[in-house]
Amino acid sequence: MSATTSVVERLRARIGVAAQPTEAAVEAGHLKRFAEAIGDDNPRWQSEAPPTFLVALAPVSLHLSEAEEYGKGWLNGGNRFEYFEPVKVGDRVTATGKVADVYEKTGASGSLLFIIFETEYVNQHGRTVARLRGTAIRR
Amino acid sequence: MNLTAGQELPELVKHPTTRQLVQYAGAQGDFYEIHYDQAYAQSVALPGVILHGLLKAGFLGQLVTDWLGDRGQLKNFEVSYRGIDVPGRPYRCRGRVTKVDGDQVELEVWGEDLDGRRTTVGSATVEMKS
Repeated sequence: MSATTSVVERLRARIGVAAQPTEAAVEAGHLKRFAEAIGDDNPRWQSEAPPTFLVALAPVSLHLSEAEEYGKGWLNGGNRFEYFEPVKVGDRVTATGKVADVYEKTGASGSLLFIIFETEYVNQHGRTVARLRGTAIRR
Repeated sequence: MNLTAGQELPELVKHPTTRQLVQYAGAQGDFYEIHYDQAYAQSVALPGVILHGLLKAGFLGQLVTDWLGDRGQLKNFEVSYRGIDVPGRPYRCRGRVTKVDGDQVELEVWGEDLDGRRTTVGSATVEMKS
């Protein structure tokens, strides 16, 4: 068995296992810094989170240091957000992430490792505000 | 305003700089070195520092919310990163309505570089207020 095969197998064992939830408050100063970094001056973001803000509230990818044994670097393959409720200043949001899938693809330029993450965001009222699915790639 | 398939969203052109990448790294809390350390980026076979995929998603999110305003709510937003983008080159965000079904409107969005190469492609679903 090659070294990379065993990394893939160890990561696959994590599929479906929820990580420790993290809770964070949505702060006006953070929203402002985030909107400024994107260059989005819509005054709406003084009190409400812009579409991609939740990624800044809690880590989007679980720290799978084992995955770093595979390839040289990370690439972000894509992100998918589903929104159920607006996220406002003062909300307390709990993010719970898990690995949804792990697979390897071999193409002309070599092998790639795909790790699919899913995160659910729940507010202080126990309501799911959003879900995020992300594809992290090791190459 | 009457929405029909084929309508284009007003385009949004961004001019990302290395300073903006550092600003975004701090605001998101993503300190992966490929976004601010030229030597590190080159050591992992990149031409130099590159834009965060999620910064490009943020630009496309702005494209959609600028167009939508308070006429409705964003329900779904999906982006795939197909190519890298580097600071110092304009990043053009575009989109068009692909389907109108009652209050539900589907959009195609994409980000392209100076050569018209679509480095980010995605879609969004919005629910218009009735």
